[in-house]
Amino acid sequence: MIMYLLTIILLLLIAPLLLSFIKAVKMWLLYKKPVSLFQGYRNFAKLMHKETLISQEASQITRIAPFLVLSPLLVTLFFLPPVVAGAFYVSFVDAFTITGLITLSTFFLMLLGLDSASAFGGMGSSREAFIAALVEPAMVLTVFSVSMMSGDLGVGQAGVNLAAHFPEAHMASFLFAAISFFILLLAENGRIPVDNPETHLELTMVHEAMILDITGVYLAIIETAASVKFVIFASLFASLFLPFGLQFAAPVAAALFLVKLFAIAATVAFLEVNTAKLRLFKVPNLLGIAIVFAFLSLITFYVLGA
Amino acid sequence: MFQFDTLSLVFIALIVLGAIPNFFYSWGYLPHIERKAHYQLHYFTFVLSMIGVVLAANALTFLFFWEIMSLTSWQLILTETKEHKTIHAARFYFLMTHFGFVFLLLFFLIVTDGNLSLGFEAMHSIAARFAYPTLLFFFVSLGFLSKAGAVPLHVWLPYAHPQAPSPVSALMSGVMLKIAIYGMFRFLFDVLYPWPLEWGILILVIGSLSSLVGVLYALSEHDIKALLANHSIENIGIILIGFGMGMIFDSMNLKVLSSFAFIAALFHAFNHMSFKSLLFMGAGSVLHQTHTKNIEKYGGLIKTMPVTAFTFLLASISITALPPTNGFLSEWMIFQSMLGSSHMDDTSLKLAIPFAIFALAMTAGLAIACFVKAYGITFLGLHRSSNAKHAHEVNFLMRAGMILISLVVISLMLFTPYYISWFDKVLGSLGHTTVYTKIFPDGIWHLHSVGIRGGVVSPLILLLALLGVTMLLLFGYRTLGVKERIHRTWSCGYRTSPRTQYSATGFAGPIRRFFGWLYKPDEHFHKTSIAGHKSKFTDAHYEVHVKPLFEKTLYDSVGKAANFMSYWVYRLSHFEQTRYAAMIFNLMLSVLFSYRIFAHEFSWATLLLEATVMIISVKVLIIGDKK
Repeated sequence: MIMYLLTIILLLLIAPLLLSFIKAVKMWLLYKKPVSLFQGYRNFAKLMHKETLISQEASQITRIAPFLVLSPLLVTLFFLPPVVAGAFYVSFVDAFTITGLITLSTFFLMLLGLDSASAFGGMGSSREAFIAALVEPAMVLTVFSVSMMSGDLGVGQAGVNLAAHFPEAHMASFLFAAISFFILLLAENGRIPVDNPETHLELTMVHEAMILDITGVYLAIIETAASVKFVIFASLFASLFLPFGLQFAAPVAAALFLVKLFAIAATVAFLEVNTAKLRLFKVPNLLGIAIVFAFLSLITFYVLGA
Repeated sequence: MFQFDTLSLVFIALIVLGAIPNFFYSWGYLPHIERKAHYQLHYFTFVLSMIGVVLAANALTFLFFWEIMSLTSWQLILTETKEHKTIHAARFYFLMTHFGFVFLLLFFLIVTDGNLSLGFEAMHSIAARFAYPTLLFFFVSLGFLSKAGAVPLHVWLPYAHPQAPSPVSALMSGVMLKIAIYGMFRFLFDVLYPWPLEWGILILVIGSLSSLVGVLYALSEHDIKALLANHSIENIGIILIGFGMGMIFDSMNLKVLSSFAFIAALFHAFNHMSFKSLLFMGAGSVLHQTHTKNIEKYGGLIKTMPVTAFTFLLASISITALPPTNGFLSEWMIFQSMLGSSHMDDTSLKLAIPFAIFALAMTAGLAIACFVKAYGITFLGLHRSSNAKHAHEVNFLMRAGMILISLVVISLMLFTPYYISWFDKVLGSLGHTTVYTKIFPDGIWHLHSVGIRGGVVSPLILLLALLGVTMLLLFGYRTLGVKERIHRTWSCGYRTSPRTQYSATGFAGPIRRFFGWLYKPDEHFHKTSIAGHKSKFTDAHYEVHVKPLFEKTLYDSVGKAANFMSYWVYRLSHFEQTRYAAMIFNLMLSVLFSYRIFAHEFSWATLLLEATVMIISVKVLIIGDKK
């Protein structure tokens, strides 16, 4: 139980660090002076001391939505697979619930975008709704495929099962599912081929457009939510698609898990440096690839058993 | 004449739960209606006739109440006949509902051997002796699905629901559509059991198509009630997916999974009743205050109509299947039953089910987009018209109706195990496996899927966790004592105005563009440009209309074919006498020529020759020159 709580606290703590790490790697690759790894914490501390500026057009939704954006994600943290062997984990909660909780958070984020009557907010919400609608089927199919390979629908149990019996017989469908899930990781977190988290240019932004009118503590909450979401996806990827090293002693296993998270973050950074942001109407092509890989994964599992 | 078995009683519960809040709402809505006596007479007869349909124990009673239900709802659509559209919608509804009725009548005439006072159990043996059971299945499906609004018989919903007064739309969409689902349960289980595999697949395909088609057209809709009507098509589709999966599992002898899928379908029927009634009531309140159905004219209503806004929010979260609401639970159960397809032996079916999963997941994703649009454009932002500016909260009775039905939504969320035990008893009474102990093996906290190593969801724990964490965060925010300042929305130095917000058309823009091949939107874009510049203009006007594909192809082309045939019948009866003589001559010629075929002296050469002669003769003598 203590390991369980420690893991959650650890994930919460390193959440801003991971996003700063991605940014630092990108800057380093572009021959810029990298940003400090602690920039995320600094921003958080700065925002916590600011006053909250609320739009005069905003309604009650602006006052409750930031909390409802963060709370489903915090609840999700409790349902992730264990990091070390023998630790307590919630075995039964399945991926539909987790997807649902993440979507609940997105739902309130989209409402938040529409609340302040600004054109940017509406634009961001509209785009996010478009992307989220296409992410959903790919997500469900990938989850289905992974659950077949791990032999359990519960996410926590699936992580443990995959670590115990790596699905060597189903390597092909496992890989297809991994590719699909990685694209979803990029899309859900608004990383570069889908959305550019660093720009504030109205033509390109999705996530930033929705929260343009949010300030102070509310902004701190929303930014925390974004980083927690990345940590959730990264740790799901680490537990489900890189399921090794769980059997080592607790500190080693935890360290290995952290290395995996940073490796995923580094991969995202490499991808971001090497690709341009897609036009909004090209994004369905990328998500279409994710859907096709998810289908392929299921079909290879059923037909070839590979 | 009447029967009170578990299935009937559960649907009575559905009607009662849907109708009682509706009474309050309707009572509050009454001052808005001109023909009060006409409205009330039909309203109460409508509710009673639905109860009659559900309780009927023989074919005659069933058909009688079914017809009363159709006629009263038809009259209710005609409550306010100021618009020409209303009369058109009512006529269309009348036609569609009687199209279904014909098939029901045919079905009953066959399965009762002409003795319409026969009970349902007695029909089973007659149906079993009938040589073409699939024909009976088609009759039942056409009869009930035309009422339920499944593809391709769904076209009347977006016309009829918006034209009816709001309490009636709530009742029609929330409750009446479920009566059709009751019919499916009653006659497929009692009369047509056992089912071949193909029937289940057909229902599954219809369900998947309905859910996608419904949500896609809902997205392109600007009329809030038509939007909700399209969502009814979607949700009926979801119910049918569950129903179809149940039928498929049953014919594959996976009885436990089958019961689970049927329970999911019943649960979704209840959920849809609750949240769709609430949504129609909310839309009705908004309509009542703003006097327009156009979603582009709303905006900012949450400030003046908080009760409507927050109950509508609850229903929106529920219909988009977000945890921990009841809508999520039933959709979760339907997803789980589809994941149970991995237990099947039939590989081709196993490969096909993921496409249905894809359809359902896509529907869920698009429904979220649609309800963010519906909620955000209606209740958030600035007023988009002066009508919306002068809106205020509706009267007490209407609020009471909305609050009561949202309590039904919450009760479905909190007392899920209790409701599921009802549905389980229904399945038991219909002679299927009961699975309650498998769904809730260890108390009421965890809802298990019955598949091997299936998923688990714990609705109450989720609800408590979400509430708890949100409360903690809010409490933390309060204790921080953050200073708050109200200021204008930042919009690049300009002032925010109602015109600078995103419109509903704009919101659905990316999706409309992506599905352009399906929508084939009819766009009108007009701008007055300055000095020939493309990008500089004084005023611009953009309008987009989407006519549903099914209506354009299936319904309009049937209409065209009828027109074409009637034209030729008309021509035929107005020929000159010489033409009639020519026709008789040609007829005789064809009889002579066909002699060879009947005498078994067929040869291709003579056929060719004779055909040529026939064609020339018909062309020269009958058709004549083109005018």
